[in-house]
Amino acid sequence: MSLLQIKNLNVRFGDADAVPVVDGLDLTVNEGEVLAIVGESGSGKSVTMMALMGLIDAPGRITADALTFDGTNMLKLSGRQRRKVVGKDMAMVFQDPMTALNPSYTVGFQIEEVLRQHLGLRGKAARQRALELLKKVEIPGAESRLNAYPHQLSGGMSQRVAIAMAIAGEPKLLIADEPTTALDVTIQAQIMELLLNLQKEQNMALILITHDLAVVAETAKRVCVMYAGQAVEVGQVPELFNVPAHPYSEALLAAIPEHSEGAERLATLPGIVPGRYDRPEGCLLSPRCPYVQDSCRRQRPTLDPQAHSQVRCFYPLNQEVA
Amino acid sequence: MTVVLTARELTRHYEVSRGLFKGHALVRALNGVSFELEAGKTLAVVGESGCGKSTLARALTLIEEPSSGSLKIAGQEVAGANKAERKQLRKDVQMVFQSPYASLNPRQKIGDQLGEPLLINTNLSRAERRAKVQAMMQQVGLRPEHYQRYPHMFSGGQRQRIALARAMMLQPKVLVADEPTSALDVSIQAQVLNLFMDLQKEFNTAYVFISHNLAVVRHVADQVLVMYLGRPAEMGPKEDIYNKPLHPYTQALLSATPTIHPDPLKPKIKISGELPNPLNPPSGCAFHKRCPYATERCAAEEPAFRQVGTRQVACHYAEQFL
Repeated sequence: MSLLQIKNLNVRFGDADAVPVVDGLDLTVNEGEVLAIVGESGSGKSVTMMALMGLIDAPGRITADALTFDGTNMLKLSGRQRRKVVGKDMAMVFQDPMTALNPSYTVGFQIEEVLRQHLGLRGKAARQRALELLKKVEIPGAESRLNAYPHQLSGGMSQRVAIAMAIAGEPKLLIADEPTTALDVTIQAQIMELLLNLQKEQNMALILITHDLAVVAETAKRVCVMYAGQAVEVGQVPELFNVPAHPYSEALLAAIPEHSEGAERLATLPGIVPGRYDRPEGCLLSPRCPYVQDSCRRQRPTLDPQAHSQVRCFYPLNQEVA
Repeated sequence: MTVVLTARELTRHYEVSRGLFKGHALVRALNGVSFELEAGKTLAVVGESGCGKSTLARALTLIEEPSSGSLKIAGQEVAGANKAERKQLRKDVQMVFQSPYASLNPRQKIGDQLGEPLLINTNLSRAERRAKVQAMMQQVGLRPEHYQRYPHMFSGGQRQRIALARAMMLQPKVLVADEPTSALDVSIQAQVLNLFMDLQKEFNTAYVFISHNLAVVRHVADQVLVMYLGRPAEMGPKEDIYNKPLHPYTQALLSATPTIHPDPLKPKIKISGELPNPLNPPSGCAFHKRCPYATERCAAEEPAFRQVGTRQVACHYAEQFL
């Protein structure tokens, strides 16, 4: 039984017939698994996770055949019931650590708040546990940091505090939404290592949302590539990077400067991601795809299993089995 | 080849107020940076936040006067230049900023924004300016109808093209680009980087390309300058630096950069801690507190930025890494 099961998730903003921002997404995450979701801005990766955590307010509409976390149907929960799960069994780390923390309260207070709400810890016990958590995320001088305000911390430190808050309830699933995008490379390496160590130690499942394919290659076991609200390819990590089957995965990989080492020009995909009013009738990538055929312009492909991965394409690439 | 930009011991210090009763503190944001740049070549400046990259950009573009040191643009000394000469110099150095959302005037049409440098600096008639603007728009991949549009009608990638077109309108000798692609998605980044390379070839412009993304730098640079806490750490030809970094900080930066084909056998060089406080930099080598190879000498004696083989390195033990 998988920890998280998403079936046919649709998120729309506005009318019930508005263009979906997340379009028929299927995703499963097993216990203790590291899954990465990659895609460019506007591909729906963050909205998917917001929907999962119930953070989408009207006029947002969420529909799904199933949205099950740890045996609980997340769609049926009342606000009060959901708040018992979110933040405890399912926690999230956001992109910008400077805005994720409340500037008017000390770090210690904010961590203790999680412990109070979800574990019922009070007073000295909460203080003690908060200190342990700060030590666990390797903050130097943890005792003195408990009384520090967020503005006294650097970006990397703040992100460590945000991680400490997220793991306070020993979650089964940790969602990290671009956790290192705002940080410098050496700090990024430290934070990624910390996240992966915690993931192994506590056997959490980790969903890593990112636009940086290199980070995915170094951390995840399985990856889901999203484009304009749809999952276009879901596969295992070294395979998807070595033999991408969807033209979009191939183009994304080719656009990384590292890929075109020594070449004069970088390989590019012409055009931009379609907005909500200029969706093509057929495959969403068809106006930009170098391999486009007539049928791609008329019909939308579905996500089907192919040689190495699940692919949403009529003419998947690299299908010869090695 | 003609040298178009020469910096000698360029230094910029800021005085920071510490309150009513304390004296001013001195932040050495830029501390003795020297280089030469030839026409048509690219110098990439690499480093983490707070290393002085942007201060260097401000000094090079004459936005700020350096505290000491000399700067020569196209053979003309900047320090002694009078008002008329400075106006001429400003034509020769143009800049592209990080955020294409903040660097364009939201109330001015694209055509007018591109024509403004010509209006101020040349005696061309309205029709001539218009023709020049349209030629440049075509060159950067904008359509003629975009002339009448406002910035909010463009995507981030297109705006960065506009910003680049505006910087190139006067055909400057030097273009300073401060993190020009870090706000863009990978596939758009590839398009914009290609445009940078195309325009460089066309106009034989020298680029100072500031970035924290080492994969991007590897693609665009001829020379690389690595900075740490306002000081140069290592400078040399791109291939030498990427193949065999001599400064421990360069080694750590390269090792921390994630790659799409990670080598599990290659050990990662880890550096602990964060950038020291620039108000209170460590004694001796600025990097010694984080350096895995630091000795007593590093804490006591500041290493000179000296020639080692084809490049310059600021490390006492650079030869050991050769």
